[in-house]
Amino acid sequence: MTAWDEIMQVVREHRDDLIGRVRLLAGTVTGLLVLIGSGFWFVQIAQGDYYRELAENNRLRKLPIIAPRGLIFDRRGRLLVENLPSYNLLVDRSRATALDRSLAFASTVLGRPLADLEDLMERYRSVPVFKPVLLAENLSLAEVARFEVEALEYPEFEVEVQQTRLYRHREQTAHVIGYIGEASPDEIEHSGGAVAPGDVTGKKGIEKRYDAVLRGKDGERVVVVDSRGELLREYGRVPVQPGKDLTLSLDLELQQEAASWLDGPEKVGAIIVMDPRNGEVLALVSSPSFNSNLFTHRLQQDDWQALLDAPNNPLQNRAMQNAYSPGSTFKIVMATAGLSEHLIDEHFHLTCTGSTVIYGHSFRCWRKEGHGTVDVRQALTRSCDVFFYHLGQRLGIERIARYARLFGLGAPTGIDIPGEKEGLVPDAAWSLKTRHQPWYAGETISVAIGQGPMLLTPLQMAAMTAVVANGGYRVTPHVVKNLPYPPPQRANLDPRALAIVRQGLWGVVNDPSGTAYSTAHLPGFDIAGKTGSVQVIAQKTRKENLPFKYRDHGWFTSFAPESDPRLVVSVFVEHGGSGHNASPIAKALYQKYLSIEASHGDAR
Amino acid sequence: MATLAEEKPALRHLSSIDGGLVMSVLLLSAIGLATVHSASSEMPVDYLPRQALWLGIGVLLLVAAMSIDYHLLLDFSIVLYAVGLVLLVLVLVAGISHGGAAHWARIGPWQFQPSEFAKLATILVLARYLSGLNRRVLALPQILVAVAIVAVPMVLVLVEPDLGSSMMFAPILLGMLLVAGVRLRLLLIAAVVAVVLAAGMWSFGMKSYQRQRVLTFLSPETDPLGAGYQVRQSKIAVGSGEMTGKGYMQGTQSQLRFLPVRHTDFILSVLAEEWGFLGVVTVLGLYSLYVASAARIAMRARDRAGILLVTGLLSVLCFHVLYNSSMVVGFVPITGIPLPFLSYGGSFTMVNFVGTGTMLGVDLRRYVNR
Repeated sequence: MTAWDEIMQVVREHRDDLIGRVRLLAGTVTGLLVLIGSGFWFVQIAQGDYYRELAENNRLRKLPIIAPRGLIFDRRGRLLVENLPSYNLLVDRSRATALDRSLAFASTVLGRPLADLEDLMERYRSVPVFKPVLLAENLSLAEVARFEVEALEYPEFEVEVQQTRLYRHREQTAHVIGYIGEASPDEIEHSGGAVAPGDVTGKKGIEKRYDAVLRGKDGERVVVVDSRGELLREYGRVPVQPGKDLTLSLDLELQQEAASWLDGPEKVGAIIVMDPRNGEVLALVSSPSFNSNLFTHRLQQDDWQALLDAPNNPLQNRAMQNAYSPGSTFKIVMATAGLSEHLIDEHFHLTCTGSTVIYGHSFRCWRKEGHGTVDVRQALTRSCDVFFYHLGQRLGIERIARYARLFGLGAPTGIDIPGEKEGLVPDAAWSLKTRHQPWYAGETISVAIGQGPMLLTPLQMAAMTAVVANGGYRVTPHVVKNLPYPPPQRANLDPRALAIVRQGLWGVVNDPSGTAYSTAHLPGFDIAGKTGSVQVIAQKTRKENLPFKYRDHGWFTSFAPESDPRLVVSVFVEHGGSGHNASPIAKALYQKYLSIEASHGDAR
Repeated sequence: MATLAEEKPALRHLSSIDGGLVMSVLLLSAIGLATVHSASSEMPVDYLPRQALWLGIGVLLLVAAMSIDYHLLLDFSIVLYAVGLVLLVLVLVAGISHGGAAHWARIGPWQFQPSEFAKLATILVLARYLSGLNRRVLALPQILVAVAIVAVPMVLVLVEPDLGSSMMFAPILLGMLLVAGVRLRLLLIAAVVAVVLAAGMWSFGMKSYQRQRVLTFLSPETDPLGAGYQVRQSKIAVGSGEMTGKGYMQGTQSQLRFLPVRHTDFILSVLAEEWGFLGVVTVLGLYSLYVASAARIAMRARDRAGILLVTGLLSVLCFHVLYNSSMVVGFVPITGIPLPFLSYGGSFTMVNFVGTGTMLGVDLRRYVNR
């Protein structure tokens, strides 16, 4: 007999015992199920009326306590964004004795046609009747009072208090601060329970980037109400955690001054004012702008359409979401690269006759009569193209690209406003990958003076200028001052080369031959900078009085004071004609800065 | 012996699959899907598609479990048990924290609860051990071995800490010992020991939030926003359903978000509110059908191991059903015990289908020895 047969023998022996006990077990369970079933009978049938009444009157109500969203201040504590209460009218249709009569009453109080409200009700047809639905937004206090007074007659109306956002400076700060809106299903699902349907979340700018900080955590009140919905007493409470306030590095006065320079039709561009020592942004303006208060109420379709149809796309943040050719400002990178690589030294010079021939092509200097004999300082001061054509030929595109990246170009600056573009630093590998053709050596000559495929954002321009100003440290631009940010990092650039470049840039504004002497020179304050213009159409068709959209873009990027820079100002004016239209704006901002400093002291 | 066991009787007897068991599972799952959809209508995500996916995987697992000869499972039971224990220890050391307690393990993108796996492995080991004891009534040392087999994973789950899941090991022991044969006197002694142990647990073994739950069960008014609030809202939901319910998707308690975790632990409250007492009776009736069918399978199983295996699987499921349905009417304290085939959940749904598949596998092999 095998082991299994032995076991089977035993099973046969005790089988009846086991079966009996299984029957006992199953019987017990079934008995318990019957017992539980009678428990349900007791609750649902015997006590059903009681519980139905509880459910209908919903004696316990969970009332959310909405966490106030954090306020936003400028660097000197001036309020930029605040919360205001606004009142919405809800109607609980299951509590209305005669909905027609209720709507008629609401129509007279609100001064809206009855048909409008009836249409609205028609649209709520699929919503269960016991769910309160939104009838009107943004009620006046007088209207709220009318509904409160008639609460006994019309218990179906509920006034809901909501906090809305007020952006005090509207267009002037819109691109930095952004706006809020109703949470999307996607945001709700990815929030891990922090965001519920109907909540608002930041949609753009600081409001979006620091949403979790500003939002806080809603609390909850459980209250006992009577059958009319009147509050009897509080039953329990989960305390609210208010959102955290933010202090920006922005200086409101500088921001407003910057915004005023780009205010008006055909004023398209971007301005960045930054502290080169730590990356604090004192002003960031993109024009045209939009009124961020439009978004705080569920946006009217026509307002939205008007924004989409407006010329030059006001929703686009040109300071960081558009990339442009750097034009002659790129000569800053070129000069640093040439000096660092010892291809030239500070005494090296050549003669500009107004054009030169490289690779069998003639390349023209912007100054037809030429600059004569120039060294690297003068080439920067007077923006000599021929000097940089030859330097570009010696450096080659790979080294140019390497130095451009050392200055932070071709990568996001890391600013704490979402949506930043990374620009483009072209090289041979990029050409093969994107254009499927080898790099053409002649293009290097164009890149040397900032034309060609090289692209950067005005913000990258400011960050690049900061590296020159602070002697070789990359800073991360940021607009929130009271939260930690990355410290400056040493870039692998020769400090002596940067010193020579700074002297050349000082000449641009302070030497009578400099390209910005007539427009940006400020006696007693050593501004250093570089002008640039970007051709929109080919050079031969250019003439005076071109239509707006064909005019050149103008750059001016600068820092001051030259001996110990504490401010970077970068200005980009689309179709501004040339850098000559950008430099006066920078000068005005330095003047504003000096007057603020005189009245308040350094606001570091 | 070998020739008989290797005869592969499964395909020959496919037509003899127990109809009651299969029908109750299918109907309960369908009711569950519809109720999960209603319960999640006010949630950010509709859980219906996911639950449908779990059910699909569950059916595949059921077929797989049914196809494997359970003697093979019993042969490997010690290995599976060891793997289960290792998983539980791993989770203790490096689990994914979920609401303060670590009971989830992660394999690639998959999260699952090792306690569910350990439950199945424990049933297998215990069935193997008890089936080898050819006695009418178990001796004390044998009972102690059985207790030890269950106690090790139970304690590991308890210290995670997951009181609800660790409780699930008790019915395994109770059901299987009862069927394997114990003296009534011993059961009484065990009851006394259990009371003493419970008192010890209360003083030394429980986290304060667990103690709080028991206290609020005894007097719900003390913690209105915690467990007391949940019991009250669940009872209002159930009671207001009355005889015929408020209608599908029309439950004010669930649609107005008064009910917590209504797609998992409180799924029966949603059903009771929307379908009334008739809906509840239907569901409880289907569970009775399941219990009767599973008991029938146990009673006609080919060997002692088969009887005990089915008993163990059935005991766990019964405990879930009894506890969860008592919980939503406020008979017992609230703890995280979902309702088989109705509640939303990945690991849980799959384990129930594997268990049912194993029962069907035992049933299909009943003729081999006749």
